[in-house]
Amino acid sequence: MTDEYRAEADALDARIRAAIAAYSLDAVAFDALACAVFAHQFRWNAAYGAYARSLGITEATLPRTAAAIPAVPAAAFKDAVLCTVAPERAALWFETSGTTQSRAGRHYLESPALYEAALLAGFDRAMLADGAALRYALLVPEPRLRPHSSLGYMMATVERERGDGQSGWYLRDDAIDVPRLRADVARAHADGVAVCVATTAFALVALLDEFDAAGGPLPLPPGSRVMETGGFKGRTRVVGRAELYARTAAAFALDESAIVAEYGMTELSSQYYDSPASRWSARRIKLPVPWLRPFVVDVMGQPLPDGIVGAIRHVDCANRSSALAVETEDLGVLTPDGLLLLGREEGAALRGCSLDAEDLLRR
Amino acid sequence: MRKISCADNTGLRALPARAIVRALADAAARWTDADFPPRVRAAAAIGARLGYTMPVIDYALDRLFAGITVDAVSAAIVDELGSLACLDGFVERSGRPPAWARGAGAVTIVSSDTTIGVAIAPLIFALAAKCAVTVKDRADALVAAFAETLGEERPELAAATDARAWTGGDDAVEAEALGAAGVVVAFGNGDALRAIRARCASDATFVPFGHRTSAGYMSAAALSGDIGALARGIARDALLYDGDGCLSLHLLFVERATGAAQERFIDALVRACTANAIEFPAGTRSPARAAQAGAYAAAAAFRAANGSGRVLRAPDGAWTIVVDPPAGDLPPFGAGVIPLVFVDGPAGASAFVSGHELPLQALGVATVDADAIALAQRLGAVRVTAFGEMQNPPLAGHHGGRARIADFIRWIDRA
Repeated sequence: MTDEYRAEADALDARIRAAIAAYSLDAVAFDALACAVFAHQFRWNAAYGAYARSLGITEATLPRTAAAIPAVPAAAFKDAVLCTVAPERAALWFETSGTTQSRAGRHYLESPALYEAALLAGFDRAMLADGAALRYALLVPEPRLRPHSSLGYMMATVERERGDGQSGWYLRDDAIDVPRLRADVARAHADGVAVCVATTAFALVALLDEFDAAGGPLPLPPGSRVMETGGFKGRTRVVGRAELYARTAAAFALDESAIVAEYGMTELSSQYYDSPASRWSARRIKLPVPWLRPFVVDVMGQPLPDGIVGAIRHVDCANRSSALAVETEDLGVLTPDGLLLLGREEGAALRGCSLDAEDLLRR
Repeated sequence: MRKISCADNTGLRALPARAIVRALADAAARWTDADFPPRVRAAAAIGARLGYTMPVIDYALDRLFAGITVDAVSAAIVDELGSLACLDGFVERSGRPPAWARGAGAVTIVSSDTTIGVAIAPLIFALAAKCAVTVKDRADALVAAFAETLGEERPELAAATDARAWTGGDDAVEAEALGAAGVVVAFGNGDALRAIRARCASDATFVPFGHRTSAGYMSAAALSGDIGALARGIARDALLYDGDGCLSLHLLFVERATGAAQERFIDALVRACTANAIEFPAGTRSPARAAQAGAYAAAAAFRAANGSGRVLRAPDGAWTIVVDPPAGDLPPFGAGVIPLVFVDGPAGASAFVSGHELPLQALGVATVDADAIALAQRLGAVRVTAFGEMQNPPLAGHHGGRARIADFIRWIDRA
């Protein structure tokens, strides 16, 4: 690592951390920051740089807007080391599960500081805007068992920095320790502490099924909430969002607006959450943190205007040491209020009788 | 139970099978005329529903209805049942008791898919078996329109056909349409088939057609042949219907050859795809499929920029050729994408197919010879055919490896 690299990286990290601290970045400032991060990655991230050069980008023609920054496909994390430093110098790596393909990839991060600052700032605004001090009931992969799960790392960071020291992890593979969860919720009631249940959608369904099978609902203390994340890709059972939230609200004795969906990816450092205004509606709108911006693109990767369905491209400035622009197969629509995330079935009816990767996984 | 289906096969049972087959073929022949008004209306409705362009829809309707001939339908019946006469009453059978192939009564055909006219072939054979047939029709009402034409040929055929649209999961309709049927033919993905099967009577015959994929195998010997013609066939097999069908070529195994032969073939395939996109414009692709194709192509471009493989693409994304994708990656199964998977021989193709547990429908090859048949068996394909013919299955063939009419009859022995 050269002094030149270190100086450049530190300066960028400082700019990004300033944006995180301010929780504000206007369009011009976002473009400037994103383009600066890309220029850095063009120079120091060999695989990303090679890809950008193959698309005709040179030092002299670097993008001037975030929309013009070439995005790596999420699958690229499986095919190459996408990092500005050698992987052995990365402080963290998270394993990507992929979308519909079987190979896993790695998201390397040079340092945990930026990652943690970004996730905490987003979580604070989305989940703790009322300043509540919560106890965390975690139905996500536990870092002790799955050290390279980004979701596990995220919630461990939240629990460590924002929890009351009494939080619990209840997920072992796909099994949930319901008796211990019930006992701990009873203790939270006794202590008068509100609970945040952080869970994957699939674990939540399994938990609700267990409630139905035995023991019944588990009312949470007043002020409690649920952070739900992830979908059902590759799972044999899919439950609609409306049904899931209705059952969740009833089981935990919560208002549905206390259920907040987080949308993130292992390949990103920052997250989206349901906007506060849309939490009372069935049409939840996702809001990014200020240093993260979504674009919706067509089949050739060209940005689409608001209101048109396309694939979502994320530009996440907190991905300073990896690749800031990541393209996905997730479908979405940009609205004046934020990003409307669509399931695959909402894009249009699938045609034909050809095999589908999801179908193959469920056979 | 409330009677919902109005299919009545009383009159049909009184007709000789030969007359029924004649009427079916005559009705289909009228639909081979692109200017036949019901076909014109149906084609427009299909285009509106699926987004395919008119040349693609016309190709599909031409192939669908031109295949329904007296000879083809009769051949399938005779091959599976022994004669047409056995559908009319008892026939003597050498070494076996006299038997009558009596129609199963009520048949329901459900297509959860949106393939053009997929319900027509089972409808033809169920009617030939003199069954009362309820068909879940699509919004384009193609089956209902064809049933009208059948009625013009023989009112008994229209009376025995009830084409209706309903929403999957509609309890009242499905309770009867599925629960009361002696035979249920269903097209769909695994989830849809499981749901339909669960609603069938316990002793009903369930004939599922699940989602499948098809592949091609280009041998080293074929690479030194007329690669222009082969490439045109491959392009058509892969790109017609935007690769949406189970008979669409979704990946092409290419035996490693000299660099020059491979390059000539790839060049020919690019030219063929370009020409095919003009003859059969792709039409509208769903955002989900577009995203899938875009992501697969972008991943290939990323790998290419980093020294592995190559991607060649139409400027509008209508077709994409991905050269040498990682063996661990699944292809997108259509959306105009042709992955060229290089292998050292048939064992490589077999390893890929078994590694991904791909259910294979058809195998396309340059020449259907003993080697090709052996490979098809090894891959689990239920059809082997020449490039260019994958999307043109014969009506009298065994779609999905299944019989055409045998599932629609119950044998009555006189013994």
